[in-house]
Order: sequence, then C-alpha cells, then structure tokens
Amino acid sequence: MARMSRRSALPFVLAAASLLTSCREARVGHYRVPKETPPPAATAPATDMASTAVPTGDGQLTWTAPAAWIAKAPGAMRKGSYAIRNEAGEADLSITAFPGDTGGLLANLNRWRGQIGLAPLAPAELEANLDHLDANGLHFEIVDFAGTANGAPARILGAVLNRPGETWFFKLMGPAATVAGEKPAFAAFLQTVKAP
Amino acid sequence: MHELWSSFRVFFSSLKLTVVLLVLSIILVFWATIAQVRLGVWGVQEHFFRTFFVLSKLPGTEIPIPVFPGGYFIGGLLLLNLTAAHFARFALKWGKSGIALTHLGLVILLIGELLSGLWQEEYSLRLDEGQTKNYSESFRLSELALIDTTDAQFDDVFVVPEKLLARGRAVTHPPLPFRIVPKAYYPNASLQMRSPATAPNPSLATQGIGLQVTTTPLALTYKMDERNLPAAYVELIAPEGSLGTWLVSEQLAEPQTFTHAGRTWSIALRLQRHYKPYSLTLVNFSHDRYAGTEIPKNFSSRIRLTTPDGRDDREVLIYMNNPLRYAGLTFYQAGFDNNDRTTVLQVVRNPSWLLPYVACVLMSAGLLIQFGISLFAFVARRRALPTA
Repeated sequence: MARMSRRSALPFVLAAASLLTSCREARVGHYRVPKETPPPAATAPATDMASTAVPTGDGQLTWTAPAAWIAKAPGAMRKGSYAIRNEAGEADLSITAFPGDTGGLLANLNRWRGQIGLAPLAPAELEANLDHLDANGLHFEIVDFAGTANGAPARILGAVLNRPGETWFFKLMGPAATVAGEKPAFAAFLQTVKAP
Repeated sequence: MHELWSSFRVFFSSLKLTVVLLVLSIILVFWATIAQVRLGVWGVQEHFFRTFFVLSKLPGTEIPIPVFPGGYFIGGLLLLNLTAAHFARFALKWGKSGIALTHLGLVILLIGELLSGLWQEEYSLRLDEGQTKNYSESFRLSELALIDTTDAQFDDVFVVPEKLLARGRAVTHPPLPFRIVPKAYYPNASLQMRSPATAPNPSLATQGIGLQVTTTPLALTYKMDERNLPAAYVELIAPEGSLGTWLVSEQLAEPQTFTHAGRTWSIALRLQRHYKPYSLTLVNFSHDRYAGTEIPKNFSSRIRLTTPDGRDDREVLIYMNNPLRYAGLTFYQAGFDNNDRTTVLQVVRNPSWLLPYVACVLMSAGLLIQFGISLFAFVARRRALPTA
C-alpha cells in the first residue's frame, strides 16, 4: 500500500515544483528623477589640476603631472588626459585602464606601432624593444617608437603597467620633436605614479 | 479522494523521504562546493540553491534541462516532510517538548532562508565627499538607461535590464519614442581604441564613441574580487527610421548624447539603480590609523540624510558595527576608495533578518530542554537505585 501511494504522490510533487520554477520577468522601467548635481570636485578650477595629485576614477592610482602639461577632460575612455605643447607642435598624453591583459603586451604594442606606420614586432623582437622602470613598487614596461603619422615624423613614448586584474596604459604620442623633448619629463612623471 | 489524501500523507511524512532528501542535499552541497571554483559564490547560489532545479544545457544546444533537484526543491520538501511527520506521528507530550521546539526552530530556519532568497536586496552606494545621491546601485547587474534630459529640472528615465539586451530581441515601451534593437551583447568585454592594424572590419556602431573603439569579448569571471563588465551594440529605431547604432559599456565613463524630435537624450549602460525618496550626502569620510602605523583603527562616514519634504534633515555617523537603519534599509560601512575621499556603503533590505536568530534560540532551547529532561530522568533513576 505504502509503495503504491508513494508512486502516485511523486508526480504531483514534481508537477508542483515545476510550476513554481517560473522566474521573475525582466521589464522596461520608466521613472522621473530630479537631475543629479555633480560632486563639488568636478567644478574645481582646471588650472590647479596639472600640479595636483590626481586620483583616478576607481581611485587605484594617483600621479602628479608636470606643471607645464595642460590637463584635458578625461573623456569617456580615459583616466587622465594632458596636452603637451612646444614650438614643434602638440602631443597628447593619455592614461587608460582596462580589465584583464587586453590581449597581451605584444598585441597592444603592435597596435601602437600601427598608429605611426610601423610594421608589427614578432614575439622574438619584443624584449629587445622594451625598457623597464620600477617606481613606488610598480613595474612599467616602456617603449619608444618613432614612425610617421600624416606624412610627418611621429613618435610614441608608452608605458604599460600590469596590475592585478587590469592593465594601465600611459601613452605620449605626437610630433617626433615634441615627444623627444618631453622624454625626461615623461620618465619623471612615471616615477610619481602611485598605488594606494 | 480519501486514498489520494492518505497517499500524500504517507509520502510526505515518511522517514525514507527524509533520508533521501538529506542524501540529495549532501550531494548538492558537495557538487556546489566543487562548482564554486568555476562559478563563484554568486553563481553557485543562483545555479544550485536559489532554484528549484539545477539546470544544464542539452549538449550542442541552448535548451536548459533539469538535471538535479535544487535548493528550493529539497528545502521545500524537507519543510513539508518535517511538518507532515509532526502531524502524523508526534503526540504532544511533555517528554517530547524539546524535540518539538527544535523542529519548530528548524522549520523557521528553512522558511527564513526561503524568504531571504525571495525578499533580500543588496545594493552598493558610493559617495565622494560632498556628493549627494538618492539611489544605490546593484553589485553585479547592469541596465541600459535612455534618459530624456531636455527638462532643466528632471530627467525622464527609461531602463532596460541587461537580461533583455542579452535576449537579443527588440524592446518596445509605449512612452519611449523608439524601439531598442540589441545588435550584439557581450556579458564581459574589454574596449580598446580602434586602429586599422587590429580592427580592419568596420565597427558595428554608427554613432558615438563606438566608431573609435573595438570590443573584445572576454571570458566570464566568477572571482569574488573581479566583476564582469558588459558591453552591447544597440540600434534605436524611430517610426521614421533608424537613428543609428551605439556602443554602450560600463567602461565608458560618460553617457553619449543625441537629439531626436527636438529633445536631447543620453544613452549609457550602467549598474542597475534603486532610487529612494530621500538623499544622502557624504559630509566626510575618516580613516583613522593607529599612531605611527598604517594599521587601520576605524573607518567612518559622516552622512547627511535629507528628505524632500524636510521632515528629516540630520547628520548620522556610520562606522563598523554601527549601520544606519532607515526606511527598511540598513546602510553598512563596506569600503572606501579614492585616497579616503570616497565611501562605499552596503545597502541591505532583508525583512526576514530576525528569523535565523529566532530559529537558533528555539533550537538551542529545544535541545537544552530535551537533554535536560533525559539528564533529570537519568539522575532520578540513579538516585532510586539501592546503594551498595
């Protein structure tokens, strides 16, 4: 009797559980909210920025840029952005960070090389093109590529920093003469990058 | 009818069912523990415990099939089994009162876990010093936000949960003047500036920053200290035709804007928001260290709590083990960032938070009573024995 009974009850139990399995439906929401007021930091005068330690969006790295560099709005992709001008023209310094290794060091350096018309490096050539810098417990891999952009000599000074779970890129790109003049300042700038 | 009822009674009150369910739960816990390496603690909760069945995809297809009973199924049946056994077998006797109390505690514990799974909400609230927010954000879930920003005072917000983007079907919502068509969705992706050498194919995007960026899909991460960063290409189609395709990603710090029919819109993928009828301002964050060392002594956030009607306008101090409890939510000090200028609060709603405590008290009392009864009976028997 007991065995028969159990057999007849089991399908009901399974059916009841299956009915309960239905999940909560995702829906489009619509609401009205007062405009958000930006935090006071966003309204700080831009002139003070270049010589002040700049915390990044995630608060992971800080740095102090030379006073001559002009801070620009970081924009959608950048953690930091500076314009560097001299008589030879204007160069652009971008600081970006991405999760993971973003395809590896070689792929990223070859992407930079492509931007100034250079052929990609083979894996065996990678080490010979790298300089290393250790500062504040951080290890930078530094490259210096000279090529052409828009028919004029162009140069990229770059530093790649691997942090747990993310990669940071510091790229100074512009007319070859401007970038060459800023090489000592770029090296000094990297020395100011600090993790909390 | 009577036979069916008695068959239910026999099935649910059987001790064999208890044993089978306990064995199934042991297997489930063991399997989930192994799977935690791959899925992480959130994934395991969703796939194994807060579900009626553990689902697996049919090989070579996307069709999910149940392969093992999940936590809700086993827990639910255990609850029924325990309750039914009480009604079927246990008589109310003083000598068994401890067991009854312990079982009642167990029933409350099972119900408490079910209610926590259904009702508990956890969000995070990041505030920079001086910043005011009237919303908290999900830890993991994203939403596509389309915001009509034309009005000077208010934003008209339409949000599409990430789940709907992942489905890939067009989304319509009557007051929204366009259809949203997800062209591609990546649950985790990295973005890079586009260059002809690495991305010869044209971008899927026809508007905004997506024209200058390439998207590389990444493997999903389930690590506790990492988060998936979703990205999607979405096309907006108005009745008169397509407005274009945008790349949206949480990695893009600023929303992209466009105009349609004389109104200004912004589009962004962001963490799911949960708005509140009051706002919080971080007055200041303190990170105290022991003198002369870097060893943290105390973290505290001085918060100003205000309601639009002016009923509440006060400062509160949130620190370790001293959360702010307000309007059914609890705000805990969870972290800090940005060189001690940003606080991270964990915001939790759990209406059933008291049940596990009640359950533990009942079970402890039940066990004490039951062992006490046995002990007193034993001592009484010993005393009754004739001394040699």
